[in-house]
Amino acid sequence: MKESFKRIFDVGWANFKRNSYLSMGTTGVMVLVLFLFSGLMSLNFIASQIVSGLEEKVDVSVYFKNDASEEEIAKVKSDLESLGTVKNVEYVSKDQALSEFKERHAGDTLVQDSLAELDENPLQASLNVKADDSSQYASIVTFLEGNKFRSLVDKINFYENEQVIARVLAISGGLQNWGFLITMALALIAILVTFNTVRLTIYSQKQEIEIMRLVGGSNWHIKAPYLVEGGMYGALAAGIVAIIFYPVAFFISPKIEVLMPGVSLIGYFASNIIQFISLLFFIGILLGVTSSFVAIRRFLVI
Amino acid sequence: MIKFKNVSTIYDNDESIEILNGVNLEIKDGEFVSIIGPAGAGKSTLLRLLTHEILPYKGEVILDGVNLAEISSKAIPLLRRKIGTVYQDFKLLSAKTAFENVAFAMEVCGADKGEINSDVPKILGIVGLGDKLKSFPHQLSGGEKQRLAIARALIHRPRIILADEPTGNLDLVNGYDVVKLLMKINELGTTVILATHNREVVNAIGRRVISMEKGKIVRDQIENGKYVI
Repeated sequence: MKESFKRIFDVGWANFKRNSYLSMGTTGVMVLVLFLFSGLMSLNFIASQIVSGLEEKVDVSVYFKNDASEEEIAKVKSDLESLGTVKNVEYVSKDQALSEFKERHAGDTLVQDSLAELDENPLQASLNVKADDSSQYASIVTFLEGNKFRSLVDKINFYENEQVIARVLAISGGLQNWGFLITMALALIAILVTFNTVRLTIYSQKQEIEIMRLVGGSNWHIKAPYLVEGGMYGALAAGIVAIIFYPVAFFISPKIEVLMPGVSLIGYFASNIIQFISLLFFIGILLGVTSSFVAIRRFLVI
Repeated sequence: MIKFKNVSTIYDNDESIEILNGVNLEIKDGEFVSIIGPAGAGKSTLLRLLTHEILPYKGEVILDGVNLAEISSKAIPLLRRKIGTVYQDFKLLSAKTAFENVAFAMEVCGADKGEINSDVPKILGIVGLGDKLKSFPHQLSGGEKQRLAIARALIHRPRIILADEPTGNLDLVNGYDVVKLLMKINELGTTVILATHNREVVNAIGRRVISMEKGKIVRDQIENGKYVI
């Protein structure tokens, strides 16, 4: 058993070395394919960052009338927090709202002067509600509308933001769906290209395979070294991509960060280096072995 | 024992093109049989039926009591390991060295590395290629390639050797060498079936000669046969 595994690997390796031009060509195509996969992963990462960035910006604020007590607001807050769909609820008191407002308009003397002339704080206490998912805001608002403290609520800014929220939802949904479709389409093309390249490589050895059959080789005896050879193309290609991809990501990452602050491509791939490289090798070897497996079947009919 | 019972074959599933037409033939173990006839007579087809490369359209091909049309696809390699085949175009593995070409035939039979390393150089020595172990087929002459093919056909000690025009691509001297080698193998008890249209070779062998024409056996000279069509 051990000897037969060793033979399979030895023969696979010898084929790989002896057909060096073909091997390099096939490996080259697989390098491009794996680069495409890496690029798609990067794009998916960036798209998901954009989507979560957009969703992060969406919230609903509930403004309370001036006669609402802090206890009552705290009750509404805890009611909201008990909902499974709510991520967090932040309480902003009247004073806090005022100081934040002042801070925001620190350079605007007109605003500062107008505020100084007022006897009392014109701002309202509010609750900022963030949902787990932006599609859940409508149901949260419905819940608030039905709450026993509804009379304390002056307004809910959901109705003003409703259109914006719907747009964000449409954009993020579109990004995810189209991203998925494009990824699948490109992945399919990549698989077909790899398959055809490996098939051509094996086709060039069609006669050899037929001779092996005529000499009495069983299907597995003939097939196994070709599967190893296919796996070797994939493994070598994955190694090359891993070596090239990280410097490229390192170079591109700051440029992306300029456009989208807080999105660090190299950070993402560096923190997942083991998973990413394992995935590259897994995809490369799987593509190579599967392509060889399918390609060789046609020549084993004699 | 090999038996062809009323065997007919057709070309490419087209019933109107018959290659063999009702062939009946028996070959006993240890015989040396030359099959002669012009190109297209059906000599190669007869051999290809024995290696299960093609199946009869009608009739039965029986080897050691087993109808070859009835064996499973898994048993095909086992059948081929009983038979050594030598082809006019050598059918060598071009990406493998002389040593590896012969070793492959042993590996498929499950021989271990020790056996392979001791037997392969021996057989290559016997066919005069002892100094060409590491040569690839393209580095060998026509005669050397055919001797390598014979070494490969012999290495697993098959009970039957099929030789399809083995001298077709060789000059006279190399052709005789190959035939002498086949006769020696036959003396050791191996059945040899030689398909050829080389008159001198057949007359020199002087054993059973079967003449074919248009897919039929037209003459069967059991002893001391000559090349007669």
